[in-house]
Amino acid sequence: MIPTTNSVTPTLKTMRRCIAVAVMYIVLIFILPANHGTMHYYHLSAVGYRVVNVALALPTIAVWFAAFWGYAKLREYSSAIARSKEGPQFDGLASGCAWLAWSLPVTTLSAFLLNGLANKWPAFHNSAIIISNYFALILPLIAFITISLAARGMIGKSRLNMDLAGARVLMAIFLAGGLAYCFFIFRHLDLNSLASTNNPYFLPAWLMIISVIIPYLYAWFIGLLAAYEISLFSANVQGLLYRRALLYMVSGLVAVILSSIALQYISSVVPRSGDLLFDYRLLIILVVRIVGGVGFFVLAIGASRLKKIEEV
Amino acid sequence: MTSSSNATIYDKVVRITHAYLGPAANRFIARQVKNHLHKRPGDLSPADLLHLIDWIRVAVSLLTEDSEVVERYIAELQKLAHSYGRQTGKN
Repeated sequence: MIPTTNSVTPTLKTMRRCIAVAVMYIVLIFILPANHGTMHYYHLSAVGYRVVNVALALPTIAVWFAAFWGYAKLREYSSAIARSKEGPQFDGLASGCAWLAWSLPVTTLSAFLLNGLANKWPAFHNSAIIISNYFALILPLIAFITISLAARGMIGKSRLNMDLAGARVLMAIFLAGGLAYCFFIFRHLDLNSLASTNNPYFLPAWLMIISVIIPYLYAWFIGLLAAYEISLFSANVQGLLYRRALLYMVSGLVAVILSSIALQYISSVVPRSGDLLFDYRLLIILVVRIVGGVGFFVLAIGASRLKKIEEV
Repeated sequence: MTSSSNATIYDKVVRITHAYLGPAANRFIARQVKNHLHKRPGDLSPADLLHLIDWIRVAVSLLTEDSEVVERYIAELQKLAHSYGRQTGKN
């Protein structure tokens, strides 16, 4: 089938933006001041430090490409069915995925840029960590709210209800994860003085609770709920071939949501130090990012199949 | 929802298609009728049905390699076409 100009252009535009942010990342690796602590610790030369950073950037950039491709394909599908009954919900899902996809480079680039500035001006280190932590929170929070509204709309229009067993499992997972999260965070805080900023987040405990812990817990709850509701919709929708295509899209989206939650969880439970450390945190983050990238890839396949139904 | 006694031939084709293409069924059939039969969906007549089924077979074969599903779907449409053929024969 010959793709029309309208269907190709938005995806190409999106991929060009992805190339631009990838190039920006590589350029930043070479122009920002190196972290002398990391270079000294791992006996790296200035060139070696930058080569290691590029090597670590490659899988991350591959995940960005998958993410941008995934949301572009979903946007193409939602545009194709814009006038239909389910059009607004898929448009909401596409917007949520776009926020999630953009959150990947924005979070990485902002942290990299801020850490680079902190390497040059050490007095800026605390501010760099605080700003990086808020960037890591805000964009996925917007994404989850958008996806959650779309998922609610899907369930509402299909007149589906969440079953009690599903709600119990969801609540159990959320409570277990949320309590463990609070435990890990509070271990780092000085609870004898709520105003103390002597912790790895450089924020007083009361501000951490109000502006980081509660928003994260809220984001994860609505993210898990959205993943459950979208799965429920796909399991109950009629149409054998439609359901098969939707299953790909939904499986990808659920993997993306769960990987995003996992990334936020790890990033806040094991606080950022601003240094490049080859430890288990880096390995887990890379694995979770790749899972998210695969999720976006599967989502793109599902969205392409759904769009094909609207084209033949 | 149109009751089965008042349902047009177009509604019946969409109803069969719904089991395979779900929410996309109405749009799919409307597109086949417009693009290949050059008619408005409401103007679909029993005489168009076999021609439409041929186009549907081609289109659905592009969506899946599962020939069993394609054949089952086409068989249901052909059954509908034959029911109209019998009615026409009686008349």
